Amino acid sequence: MPGTVELLLLRVLAAGPMHGYGIAQRLKQVSDSVLQVGESSLYPALQRLLINGWVKAEWGASENNRRARYYRLTAAGRKQLTAERQEFEQMIGAIRKVLEMA
Amino acid sequence: MFYVVGRTWRKILFWVRRDRLNQELAEELELHCYLKGKVDREARKTPEETRREMGNLTLAKEESRDVWGFVSLDNLLRDIRYALRAFRRNPAFASIAIFSLALGIAGNTAIFSIIDTLLIKPLPFREPDRLVRITQLYPKALLEYFQQRSQTMDIAFVSPGSEFNLTGVGPASRITGSEISANFFTVIGASVERGRTFESGEDRPGNDGLIILSHELWRAKFNGDPAIIGRTITLNGIDRRVIGVMPASFSFPSTTVQFWIPARIDPRNTVEYWGGEFVPLIARLRPGANIQQARAEIHSLAAGVWKLFPWPMPRRWNADSTVISLQSDLAGDTRTRLFILLGAVGVVLIIACANVASLLLARATARRKEMAMRAALGAGIARIVRQLLTESVVLALVAGLIGVVLGVISLSLFRAVVPAQIPGMAEVGLDWRVCLFAAALSIFTGLSFGIVPALKAGKLDLAEAVKSGSQRSATKTWIALRTWLIAGEIALTVVLVVAAGLLMKSLYDLTTANPGFNSQRILTVKISPNESFCAQRESCIAFYSRIIADTRALGGVVDAAIANTVPLDGQLPAIPADVEDHPRTADFPSPMLWTGAVTPNYFRLMQIPLISGRAFTDTDGPNASPVILISASTARRFWRGVNPIGKHIKKTGETSWRTVIGVVADVRQFDLANHSPGSISGAIYMPYAQAGIEANAQLPAVMDLLVKTTATAEEVPAELHRLAVNANPNIPVGKVMSLTDIVGNSISGFRSTIWVFLSFASAALLLAAIGVYGLMSYAVSQRTYEISVRMAIGASRKSVVVLILSQSLRIAMIGIGAGTAAAFLLSRLFSGMLVGVTSADPLIFAGVTVLVLFVTVTASTVPVCRAVRIDPIRTLRAE
Repeated sequence: MPGTVELLLLRVLAAGPMHGYGIAQRLKQVSDSVLQVGESSLYPALQRLLINGWVKAEWGASENNRRARYYRLTAAGRKQLTAERQEFEQMIGAIRKVLEMA
Repeated sequence: MFYVVGRTWRKILFWVRRDRLNQELAEELELHCYLKGKVDREARKTPEETRREMGNLTLAKEESRDVWGFVSLDNLLRDIRYALRAFRRNPAFASIAIFSLALGIAGNTAIFSIIDTLLIKPLPFREPDRLVRITQLYPKALLEYFQQRSQTMDIAFVSPGSEFNLTGVGPASRITGSEISANFFTVIGASVERGRTFESGEDRPGNDGLIILSHELWRAKFNGDPAIIGRTITLNGIDRRVIGVMPASFSFPSTTVQFWIPARIDPRNTVEYWGGEFVPLIARLRPGANIQQARAEIHSLAAGVWKLFPWPMPRRWNADSTVISLQSDLAGDTRTRLFILLGAVGVVLIIACANVASLLLARATARRKEMAMRAALGAGIARIVRQLLTESVVLALVAGLIGVVLGVISLSLFRAVVPAQIPGMAEVGLDWRVCLFAAALSIFTGLSFGIVPALKAGKLDLAEAVKSGSQRSATKTWIALRTWLIAGEIALTVVLVVAAGLLMKSLYDLTTANPGFNSQRILTVKISPNESFCAQRESCIAFYSRIIADTRALGGVVDAAIANTVPLDGQLPAIPADVEDHPRTADFPSPMLWTGAVTPNYFRLMQIPLISGRAFTDTDGPNASPVILISASTARRFWRGVNPIGKHIKKTGETSWRTVIGVVADVRQFDLANHSPGSISGAIYMPYAQAGIEANAQLPAVMDLLVKTTATAEEVPAELHRLAVNANPNIPVGKVMSLTDIVGNSISGFRSTIWVFLSFASAALLLAAIGVYGLMSYAVSQRTYEISVRMAIGASRKSVVVLILSQSLRIAMIGIGAGTAAAFLLSRLFSGMLVGVTSADPLIFAGVTVLVLFVTVTASTVPVCRAVRIDPIRTLRAE
């Protein structure tokens, strides 16, 4: 579904600031390797969040002394997460209804 | 909303920092690879596998950049660069197109900047959109009548300005001032630079010895004296105390006005209160009121005012009075003239657009292969159309830039169309509104002439175009489209040139018309003593007699006379009169007669012929029985079929009648076109010595000295001025002017309008010639093969000439036909500007047809020569 990647990223970042690689790892880990967001969709999606003002990016030190860009959820991003989550629940509910009806 | 703004702002921020962002993204991805590689090595994956899992990193970068929104902007910049490169490659095309458009945009910018100043830019007063004018003119009594009754407006009174003598400050001089009601400055919403404005009650007799100076007068006559407030100055022999100086930016009701004095509003002086100078009323809408309400109010108030006068007035006098915005009142009838010019210059721009569209079509044909190649390589139709539109808009913007510069330069020519005394006209020039207009116009024209060729190019048949790409394969419809464009262009040109021709004919008729007098070798100079100077009738007559005698004694002078006015100098000395056989009633009130007061030799000097009876002689002195001369049209109006000699006329209010002793030919007193204001019913002359015959009547004091000189009398003007000044140094003497110049000045506005119009028509003609040339050159190159075949099978050169010329003549004939019909219909629109020519003048129409045909043929000459010089053998071999 379009927009799902953004929703997942927002949810992951809600736990705290993270860099791109960390986000990908976290997603993979939490979803038991079911959800693997490729780099070619992860980074464009992060740029979309930046442009929309839902996350902020700042440089910080990573675990092995190389600087990394950390993404942090903004207040607007938190609001967006709630809204998108609701929408997503509705959608899933609706899909489930259709599936169970048959 | 907030969200959109924030997002746009971030987009701009990202775009500005895109280089750094790109670098940062690269670094981020590199870190990602590093970390992933480390984990994978631990998991014993091969680098090969890692790379496969990573997917397309370049794509990740590309798509990230897409999100930042650079792509469309980058594409636009690339398109613009490409367009500029394309123009450099084809300078002939680019320069013709840019020249055409710049010409059109220049004219539009210039006319628009005048319209902007006159009609769009808010007047420099407080809340200018609340200011209105009550149309028609009213006496002071009705100002108070309206003031007491109006619920919607605060009304003030402001005379257009008249000349006063300023004495005691350097040599005696004439300055122009306006009489106003005390509330004028409050109503118009302007404040003084120093001092104060008039207070309520200061327009009443006894309190009115005050004056407010314009900044310019204060600087020029009083050297910007900082202690000016409270100083007393003498105007027309009366002392007035200076109470204020207006800022330099303030000018009203016209730029000629140099000071403001209180109108003397005195209800006890019935004649002055009801019958003094009738002046314009201006007003400010009260809060909450709108112009419709004000209009309704004035309609009901003005309907009955004719009954209020203490003497009979024409039935329903001023009943059609209404309320208009002050801005449109100031613009007056210049408005129509400007809109006609804007229409004309708009047509020039359309012609320029048609030219460029036609050129672009030709270029699109030549670039079919290029476009097909782009399409084949994957460019979408939208992308190609956008590329072509970018090119035409860039073209138009370059032209716009040049056009604005040209427009501002040519503004001095165009400015003359508008009377210089309209406040604010001095500031005509480039401002943001004009720039915005020019930019919008450029983009709009760029899109409009670019859209058809661009869409045409977008619709091409790929396979066909890539395969052939030959010049010969251009489809017929493209040429047909260009033919119609050029024919339309010629039609519009014909309309403009016909209009210009009609206006030129008008101007010619005006300048060659017999104004009723001979202005050759006549000099005039205004001598303006105070009115009180003529309190003693004899001394006044003696003063002027001496001046005439002294003037006659000058070398180079043939004759000299004095008169209260000079024809065509813009003055209108009219008085109400009683005419024998025409008793006065409410439906036939006193006719207003133009009244000359002249010395007997005036008619000989001006060569105004006597038609019947006798002229004035020196014996018609102050004590002889009063006599009068009337003009031929006045005689016809009042005594048709009856001998007017021996009939009587008197000024309304006089007791003794004046006897008509002769009829003189008509003179165009008011304007060369022989219109006179509707209120004037005729013209009479009285001998100067008899101009005021009643016991308390004065002779007019301000007079023009008219001097007929010999052919070689260059030093006369200077001597004349010296003589008049020496006669009495306390009396201001005006500039010596030739009557020929005065006559010329009377139509200067009309003349400059015509010159501007003519320049537009010439531009149109030039553009049409370029258009025909472009089309015919293209047609010849398209038909090279056909012509070669024809020549190869024996066609003569003559028949080739006929072939090509007939094509261009056909286009010209279509254009001329359509244009003539349109011109015929449209010329009625400005028939009001035409004088002495009917809008269907056959000579003009025939002349324009010949001219346009000539231009078409001339423009086709080069292409025809090229066609004749085609070498069939070489062409056919090349195919």
